[in-house]
Amino acid sequence: MKSTAAGLPLSYRLAVASRCLAALFGGYALAAMAGVLLSQWLPLPRADAVQVGMMSSFLFYLGAFIWAFASHSAWRAWLGILLPSLVLGTINGLTYWVARP
Amino acid sequence: MLAIALFAFAGCAALCLAMDKHFSELLGRKPRPGQTLVLRLAGWLLLALALAAAVRHAGWAIGLAELFGLLMASLCLWVFALPYRPRWLLGLAALSLVLAPFSALGLI
Amino acid sequence: MKEGFRQAMAWLHTWAGLIFGWLLFAIFLTGTMSYFKPEITRWSQPEVPVRALDIPLALGKAQDYLQRNAGDAPNWFIQLPDERTPGITVGWRGGDGQRGFIRKTLDAATGAEVPTRETRGGDFFYRFHFQLEMPYPWGRWLATFAALMMLVGLVTGIITHKKIFKEFFTFRPGKGQRLWLDGHNAIGVLVLPFHLMISYSSLVIFMYMVMPAPILAGYDNQDSYFNEVFGGRDLVAASGEKAPMQALPQLYARLLAQAPEAKISWLEIQRPGDRNAQVLFVPDGRERVSVQRGAGWRFNGADGSLAWSARPESVAGIVSGGFYGLHMASFAGPLLRWLYFFFGLAGTAVIGTGLVMWLGKRQVKHARSGTQPFELRLVEVLNIASMSGLILAVAGFFWANRLLPVGLEGRAQWEVNLFFGVWLASLLHALLRPGRRAWGEQLALAALAWTALPLLNGLTTGQGLNHSIPGGDWAMAGFDLTVFGCGLLFAWTAAKMLREPLPTARRTPKAARTPHLEAETN
Repeated sequence: MKSTAAGLPLSYRLAVASRCLAALFGGYALAAMAGVLLSQWLPLPRADAVQVGMMSSFLFYLGAFIWAFASHSAWRAWLGILLPSLVLGTINGLTYWVARP
Repeated sequence: MLAIALFAFAGCAALCLAMDKHFSELLGRKPRPGQTLVLRLAGWLLLALALAAAVRHAGWAIGLAELFGLLMASLCLWVFALPYRPRWLLGLAALSLVLAPFSALGLI
Repeated sequence: MKEGFRQAMAWLHTWAGLIFGWLLFAIFLTGTMSYFKPEITRWSQPEVPVRALDIPLALGKAQDYLQRNAGDAPNWFIQLPDERTPGITVGWRGGDGQRGFIRKTLDAATGAEVPTRETRGGDFFYRFHFQLEMPYPWGRWLATFAALMMLVGLVTGIITHKKIFKEFFTFRPGKGQRLWLDGHNAIGVLVLPFHLMISYSSLVIFMYMVMPAPILAGYDNQDSYFNEVFGGRDLVAASGEKAPMQALPQLYARLLAQAPEAKISWLEIQRPGDRNAQVLFVPDGRERVSVQRGAGWRFNGADGSLAWSARPESVAGIVSGGFYGLHMASFAGPLLRWLYFFFGLAGTAVIGTGLVMWLGKRQVKHARSGTQPFELRLVEVLNIASMSGLILAVAGFFWANRLLPVGLEGRAQWEVNLFFGVWLASLLHALLRPGRRAWGEQLALAALAWTALPLLNGLTTGQGLNHSIPGGDWAMAGFDLTVFGCGLLFAWTAAKMLREPLPTARRTPKAARTPHLEAETN
């Protein structure tokens, strides 16, 4: 991770761009899914669970940013963000359709 | 609010002196064994007193906000003035320590 | 990113900090100013007379005025005076003004319309702080994302900082990068609770907008959620039957009988003069930290009975309202408010020192080769324009407030235009001048512009320090003294920038530039 922008191979630049996208969009998806999960499963009145879900979602976003740049490769960065998002999304989807058929 | 500030400032000073490096730099000698422990305990005790003064002054919510505000201000004053006016700061810390109880009891 | 976790986090800290640093600097500086929003507005509208605070009297006068001038309007809005805002502001819908909204400032004691100069005052900086003068909702999204990046910067900074406890009390003034790094670390660490609170709370404030997924998963739409959480804000239709409205001071007395602690700052009156008239009293929430959004009492205007009042909020509501309140600091008295102001400046300084360090570190590497790569020059120009340029732009706004003719068409917008005009000019200046000179010249001009503001105020309004201090008008005097103090600070930094000997003036300009720049970051 040399800090000078010049003289870096294209593959490195693409990897950094890919990580940025993973953090930005993947991170948002993860945060949103985690927020929804909390809002649906927390044993609180619905409006409160929604508030707690929204408030905590940003911590997941923060975590995704750190993961995206800390993991060993850009592929792992994507995997580590998209996989949990998909799992959470599936649970959320099921919960949603069970609750309102 | 003065009491909170005085306790917080004295507490910062004690916690800073509880570190070997700062103790020897500020007081010109090595701390005796046990001295740093006493200073550390005294520092946390003073911060606890600052907390008590803050909660009594304005309740938990606003009191905690006041405590954090004054504590951060004390730390900034201490750390940024330390390289320039160390003796002045030590004097101020001693003065805070002396005045704090009177201020907490509403005598000044 | 094989070099390990800490290095990866240092990389993220460096680049997130650089890319969002310029924007965050402006957000933090204008946000810090917003802790004194009423005082800035007060200075910007010196025509509004200060009166002894009398809420029932002000309510009566506002109602009289609206009855006379906006009797047919479907809605009235009243902003009451308080210790920091001397005048009453009334507004109503249904005129030919901007989007059909008319706003007037009234004398709090007589109810007479005060012919104030048209200005956005402190509200401009407040709005810029989270809307960035961009169209809705883009500015809010960008500002909120910048807050997330600030949070990322803080957390990665903590991870990167190796000796956070060992060097907790350490600040070593001296020469070179060490001073900047120690300063950056010390302000960052010592005021860390504030930094964390202010960045995270900005996310909580806009969570309804930027993270609507949990709402949409549980509710049909956002409105039904807001109704469940807050309620009481539904619009009423006119019955078409006239009925005289109760006197507002009486309704206020009735409210105080129920909630003696309540401090009311804002009223919304729907369908005044109709049988269905509704009067909503909104408290300013100054007596506690947690701000209850949607708090209020609503009375039937015709018979004066209580129609609705906000439910006590839940723990989750108290927590999110707590972050809101901690961010806005409306609960803070004068001393705590000043502390907030200084911590806001500390946050601004953390960002500024970080930007300067990014550049300094890299310029050292290029010092020997004698050339400066394009990207370093770009960062240098943006650093100058975003920091000293913004300071100049703020001064430009205040100068425009005093010098633009009172009757100028679109005057408030001209103040804003001048703000951005000065900012743009500083960017051009930074492009044309070598780095250190550009810093020095802009800061020197800023020093002049800021220290002269009290004089300008005295000459143009007759409310200069010679009147405000003896008269005990501390909002006016406080503004003048604060800008004067800031001006002195800028003068000091400008002198430091300009005084340092410029080595080897005989070299070609390009070769000579780099050594100055290296010295600049000392």
